[in-house]
Amino acid sequence: MLFLIALLTGIMLYAVFVGGYTISAVGLFKTMTAPLQNLSNAISERVEYGLDLYRNAENYYQENRELRQEINKIHTQLADYEETKAELERLEAFIGIKEKHSDYSMTVPFDVIGYVTNDIYLSFMIDGGSEDGIGLYDTVVSDLGLVGVITELGEHVSTVTTILSPELSVAACTSSSREKGVLTGSVALASEGLCKLEYLEKDTDLKKEKIILTTGENGLFPGGYVIGYVKDVAMDDTGLTAYASIEPASDLKNLSMVVVITDFNGKAERTDAES
Amino acid sequence: MQNRKHQKRSYAVLQTIQWVLFAGLILLCYLFETSGSYHKPLVLIPVALCIASHTGEVPAMTVGAVCGLLLDLACGKLPGCNAIVLVIFCVIVSLLYRYLLKQKLLNMLFLITICVALQGGIDYVFYYAIWNDPDVELILKNITIPCGVMTIISGIVFYFMIKKIAESCQSHRIQKLEKMNLFSDMD
Repeated sequence: MLFLIALLTGIMLYAVFVGGYTISAVGLFKTMTAPLQNLSNAISERVEYGLDLYRNAENYYQENRELRQEINKIHTQLADYEETKAELERLEAFIGIKEKHSDYSMTVPFDVIGYVTNDIYLSFMIDGGSEDGIGLYDTVVSDLGLVGVITELGEHVSTVTTILSPELSVAACTSSSREKGVLTGSVALASEGLCKLEYLEKDTDLKKEKIILTTGENGLFPGGYVIGYVKDVAMDDTGLTAYASIEPASDLKNLSMVVVITDFNGKAERTDAES
Repeated sequence: MQNRKHQKRSYAVLQTIQWVLFAGLILLCYLFETSGSYHKPLVLIPVALCIASHTGEVPAMTVGAVCGLLLDLACGKLPGCNAIVLVIFCVIVSLLYRYLLKQKLLNMLFLITICVALQGGIDYVFYYAIWNDPDVELILKNITIPCGVMTIISGIVFYFMIKKIAESCQSHRIQKLEKMNLFSDMD
């Protein structure tokens, strides 16, 4: 026993003297038992985790619910932000119209409620009417170009006939040569989403991609507004005049917002003269 | 006596459920008609005719008028234009099913086809052909006929859907009335 006490005291004193360094036998022992320690630690962690789950399940459940609610709230805010941003971009485009054409009296932008079912000319309804200052036959435009006119007016909902319809005739010209024609719709072209610029000179120099504008001559439409681009030029059936297929600048199939031009320079005078 | 009252009340509740479901279906069809710019079947026609085949003349007439007016609104036509056609057709369908026809898919498809042909024909003649626009036959080829065919095909879905609704309410009613021997009272 004395020997054992002396041995242990010796080991103790040796450990003190090596100061901080592990005694080789202890080191060997630690190395050998390390995997077992890892395993026991893992088991212990697992047990602790299980006990913690059991003890704090309700707290975690509550916390989870709160976090989920917060995430949902953030998602909603993000969606609102995206929507607001998109709407702002659209509205900025409409402000551009006012900056370019200071003589226009425009309404606030209206949403497109829906298209008329199976209408080849893509007539549609907007959520504005006489109560919003809209009048019958007022010009409807998008930020990209002319769309059509109001042909049915309600107090809060109106129907717009687009430039694809043969019911509309718009005095139009090219932006460069100022060559004039009458823009109207036809069944054949409307099915391709195009309209027609009629009564062009036989030897017209109109080429693809040329911009077509309103002339404002009949007083129904404001002058100088973009209608669309030339897609093709061909001779009329009579052979006396040429016509051009025009691709509207506005995407008439996917409109979401439009504005109505209620007044512009030349409208009142011409309407008075006509009446 | 009290039990009879209770049964009559159950019958009224089932009838209400049936009409609420029909009204919901009509509303959904209207929303479908007014969404998107693509060509689509005029689903209000088969819905009106299928409902009419399960009801009496007066409800059938009302359904025809409502569906017709909704169709006019959706299609941007003169209000009443389609409604008149559907009112007449719904009454005819209701009478045919009461006295002559059985609830069979082919019968209904045949009636839907006649109605769609008449409605499409009137629409084409009065809204397009009469104005002598060039290439007007393209509307017949690209819109009237394809949409008519789609409408007839959609009739298969609505036939089974409406039959299911009507029969569910009807079978309950008959079972209960048989139990209570109330047929004579109800008739």
